[in-house]
Amino acid sequence: MYNRSIRGPLVEGNKTYGQISSDIMAPIDARPGMWWYLTMAIASVAALFGFYAIYMTVAKGIGTWGLNNSVGWGWEIINFVWWIGIGHAGTAFSIFLLILRQRWRTSINRAAEAMTVVAVGCAALFPALHMGRVWLAFFIFPYPNTRGPLWVNFNSPLFWDFIAISAYLLISFSFWYMGMLPDFATIRDKTTSKIKKAVYGFFSMGWTGGSHQWIRFESLSFILGGIAAVLVVSVHSIVSTDFAVGVIPGWHTTLFPPYFVVGAIFSGFAMVMTMMVVVRKVYKLNDYITDNHMDAIARILTFISLIMGTAYATEVFMAWYSGNEYEMFTFFRNRVTGEYSVQFWGMVICNAIIPQLFWFKKIRKSTWGLLLISLAINLGMWFERFNIVVTSLANDFLPSNWVSYSPTIIEIGIYVGTIGLFVVGVLLFFRYIPMIAISEVKGVLNIGSKIDD
Amino acid sequence: MSTKYKIGVFDEEKTLVASIKSLQERNLAIFDVFTPYPIHEVLHLLKRKSKLPTAGLIYGITGALSVLAFLYYTSVLDWPIDYGGKPFNSFPSFIVITIVLTILIVTITSLFTFSVRARLFPGQEAVIFDDRATDDKFIIVIDAELLGGDAANEAGRIMSESGAVEILEKDLAEKK
Repeated sequence: MYNRSIRGPLVEGNKTYGQISSDIMAPIDARPGMWWYLTMAIASVAALFGFYAIYMTVAKGIGTWGLNNSVGWGWEIINFVWWIGIGHAGTAFSIFLLILRQRWRTSINRAAEAMTVVAVGCAALFPALHMGRVWLAFFIFPYPNTRGPLWVNFNSPLFWDFIAISAYLLISFSFWYMGMLPDFATIRDKTTSKIKKAVYGFFSMGWTGGSHQWIRFESLSFILGGIAAVLVVSVHSIVSTDFAVGVIPGWHTTLFPPYFVVGAIFSGFAMVMTMMVVVRKVYKLNDYITDNHMDAIARILTFISLIMGTAYATEVFMAWYSGNEYEMFTFFRNRVTGEYSVQFWGMVICNAIIPQLFWFKKIRKSTWGLLLISLAINLGMWFERFNIVVTSLANDFLPSNWVSYSPTIIEIGIYVGTIGLFVVGVLLFFRYIPMIAISEVKGVLNIGSKIDD
Repeated sequence: MSTKYKIGVFDEEKTLVASIKSLQERNLAIFDVFTPYPIHEVLHLLKRKSKLPTAGLIYGITGALSVLAFLYYTSVLDWPIDYGGKPFNSFPSFIVITIVLTILIVTITSLFTFSVRARLFPGQEAVIFDDRATDDKFIIVIDAELLGGDAANEAGRIMSESGAVEILEKDLAEKK
């Protein structure tokens, strides 16, 4: 149970219900500030760079990338896994914390879900482009076809991945949209603009807030929350099996599914923190996204960081303990020391050591502390994926195959482009959609207070 | 024509619940209650029940069995492919797809069921008794025609006694 006397109120500033609606609707009604247009412009340029890179990839083929016979997976797979990891914020926040009955999730879950939808969309771009001939991507759908009918390989983790990510995208979107119905209705009923009334009225699908709607709304979120909780674990487990079923040293390990899942939640929470630290400042939403919320996220990150550290140590230990000379080589000559030691130690420092600073209350309360550490985690998680994908492939069993890999400008372009797309998506979300779930915050306004008892 | 609906507007959850209780004590039928957020006590008092979880279970079982049947049909009956001597019906590796697709099937079918049962469609016109019900007011609606004039007046009196800040009378016949 939430103990208000220990953890403070979930919503500060003695708000009334009416104030909650107008505070959260304010960014939709107001003209966005200069910073919004400026960020939008920069992000759009980045996205255009990405479109150019995608055009070159489609027009000329994968030869425009820096991949070679040994390193067949490069930045595309690194960034795919990175984005999917960030996309775990939505499920982790909305669904995991929903079934754990953590009421403090209410003011953050909407934004986390929005981030998930955009991030998973960005992630899905990479495997599609990696197919080489994107226009034949539909071959992966298991439908009765004129090629046999030849079915896809249902035993392949790469196909599981396709299923998992499409399902994840659809489910997160449904869950997100359903949660917004009552808030769209609030905007419809409260706004003075005729256009907004019509548009949000259309999207609210006739929501009135009657008891026959609420009972089904509650049932539905219970069902979706319950079954989609499996997705928190399954999506990234499946991504990890893409690697773990390979016989490549450093990939072929049973540690991978939990290691990837925890890592995904880690990067998802870190990205939520990055975004929320900025958003609560620029939109002045400190009463809703309180210091206690940031504190709770920081505590979770500290704990997950310890798990990550344990996982890194376990990997290195097992390389030695297994007595397998190839594993020994990959970990000790290729990662801990050697050509890729920068990425390895970058990963360890950013993910396992820096977040430990959150043990200090002063850092948990400081805006810069939160922002910088969460950015460090995002960077560290990128290093982790680089470490896994490239180091194992570049120096494998046969020294004559050894090559080094560096990305081309096209590969960098696609990555920068997805970051641009992500920022554009998130900015549009903040502009047009209530960024905090209005109805849910009203429901927790008096949690643990005297009125409630 | 007489006024069709009597509407009690409340400021707080507490007075709303008290009012519902006293209306129910006198056996005055409540048409519906509109609130800005779900209040479980209200849903409980009005005896609102949803069969959505049962429907979800049925969708889930049907979904899981159909996905398994589909995988069996494609991999064993229609076009078996030998992957290094592994069995065609490689059940353990079918589980992953079955779980994920079952979740997807349950999500989509439950959403459609929700949409039908809660009457929420794109472009659906909302029947709004009071547009503050999605903002900061809690509203009890009494069907005055159904109850008859005297009973409706009594309901209005009970609502204002138990803390309603406003009692409104509205005729929504032309809107429907």
